[in-house]
Amino acid sequence: MNPNNAPLAPPASRVARWRRPSVGAIAKYAWVTWAYLFLLAPMVVVLGSSLDGTTAYSGVVFPPQELTLKWYRQIPASHYNALGLSLVLGLSVAIGACLLGIPAALGVVRGKLPGKSMFLAFFRAPMQIPAVVTGVAFLKLYYAFGDATGLYLNATFAGLYLGHLFVATPYVIGTVVSVLQRFNLRLEEAAMSMGASRWSTFRRVTLPTIMPGVHAGALYAFMVSFSDVPIAMFLTAPGFLTYPVELFFGIETDFNPSVLASASLVILFSLGLLLLVQRVIGLDTVVHSRS
Amino acid sequence: MSSRFSAMAGPAPARWDYLLVPSFAVSFILLAASQLTFLKGSLYADLGLGSLAANASAGNYATLLTDEFYLNALLLTLKVSALATIFTLLMGFPVAYVIARMRSRWAMLLLAGVVVSSFVTIVIKVYGIIVIFSADGGFNKLMMALGLLDQPYTIIGNQTGVVIGLMQFTLGFGVLLLYSVVRTIPVSLEEAAMVHGAGRARVFWRVILPLSLPGIIVGALMIFNMCMGAFTSASLLGGGRVFTLPVLIQRAVIIETKYGMGAALAAVLLVAVIVINLVSVYLVKRLSAARLVIA
Repeated sequence: MNPNNAPLAPPASRVARWRRPSVGAIAKYAWVTWAYLFLLAPMVVVLGSSLDGTTAYSGVVFPPQELTLKWYRQIPASHYNALGLSLVLGLSVAIGACLLGIPAALGVVRGKLPGKSMFLAFFRAPMQIPAVVTGVAFLKLYYAFGDATGLYLNATFAGLYLGHLFVATPYVIGTVVSVLQRFNLRLEEAAMSMGASRWSTFRRVTLPTIMPGVHAGALYAFMVSFSDVPIAMFLTAPGFLTYPVELFFGIETDFNPSVLASASLVILFSLGLLLLVQRVIGLDTVVHSRS
Repeated sequence: MSSRFSAMAGPAPARWDYLLVPSFAVSFILLAASQLTFLKGSLYADLGLGSLAANASAGNYATLLTDEFYLNALLLTLKVSALATIFTLLMGFPVAYVIARMRSRWAMLLLAGVVVSSFVTIVIKVYGIIVIFSADGGFNKLMMALGLLDQPYTIIGNQTGVVIGLMQFTLGFGVLLLYSVVRTIPVSLEEAAMVHGAGRARVFWRVILPLSLPGIIVGALMIFNMCMGAFTSASLLGGGRVFTLPVLIQRAVIIETKYGMGAALAAVLLVAVIVINLVSVYLVKRLSAARLVIA
């Protein structure tokens, strides 16, 4: 890892030295520590300053001088509404992405159609389109659709849902495809030769095997929807805002510590979700089934 | 009974192909309809207050391609996205490598830190960055106490802030991506190189880097694409002074209701991203083909 640490030594001693902490190892761990500081400091600061009692509306204090929970009692109702919308949206997007993504993954991997890689590239396309372009494109689509039919989908749940479904489905397809490619077909053959019907083979053998990929994909789909700003920005309206968009406008209009308090609740929620994931399906499953 | 025997002879060919139909139809309709309407919309000039001209013209594009302001915005978007991608890779790869090669329970904890960071929306992290880098925030207090700065330094309103914001957006994701790349390289290869006398630097340059390069390039493109489409960091940390294309698109559509111009800007951004992705894929193919010839 460290280009500076390459003294000439006989091979045998080098293998032994490899386990002892060297300058290179110290530099490596210093680098990792610095990266984690960079990665986690903003969230730690938000959590910390939300607890500060001396915080005035003008400035934010970290580390907290005097602990209080008063900002948590002052979280505006609009934040709870936005949070509710984001949670419902994220969950339904995750379910929809699975319903679309699992058959697509099975079809691509198991099907006999030529040009599998073309299909995979097609299904991955939404991930390559810049998010802000997707937002504008769906807004224009809803205006055009509304002009033609009288049914305007902008600033409706359905409109927001379709936009998020579009970008979230590729995650489920990706994770399920990567699990399916490692899948042993003989398991299914065995089940069928023992007399299992095709449906019960799917339900009892195939589905349980691809479940880690489904879990991981659903989790990514939820998080894509739950943390998105650039798409929701164009498909929401005042009074109908997702949580990240509400927070985006809050930073410019009414920055006060109760915003930090509600942001802290979301950080704690994410931590809780992570613990749940670790308990139920295991974190390594989620990370490994990323394609 | 007969079906059982036919199953024993080998399962009858299941038509998995049909499963593709509904997903493909939905994805295709959403992709084609949204992209075509917005590209068509980019051809209509804005008349103000959200209304568009009746006839299509290339006027929006003529404005875009002749006005230096928009050209600079495109270059700035490419610059901050490229910088954020490079720094994310430089910062993320050692972390991914260390976690992937760790054998203790700490690996899970470190991984959890990365996952939490990629789960929490960037807007919350931007709040944290603003607090840290504010004039009386932790960064300036520490730097002034150490005597490294005599007056508060701010990253709000300049490109440094935007790049830091983009890195906050991509680093967690990047580490997860690079982690799975490093996991595909067997440790035994590194050990073999070391047993044969290669130093750590040599192992890195001759074993780890070449083997993870395809994965790193794929990851770099994904990170770059994320940066090109993001406006949260540029909008909130740029303090209204850093005009990247996504910021201009958001302003044109949401604040100025210039839908035609917004769509034209989005089209330019989309084409830039597609061209860069295609060129990179082509170069990588050429590169690996060339390497095969040499070997």
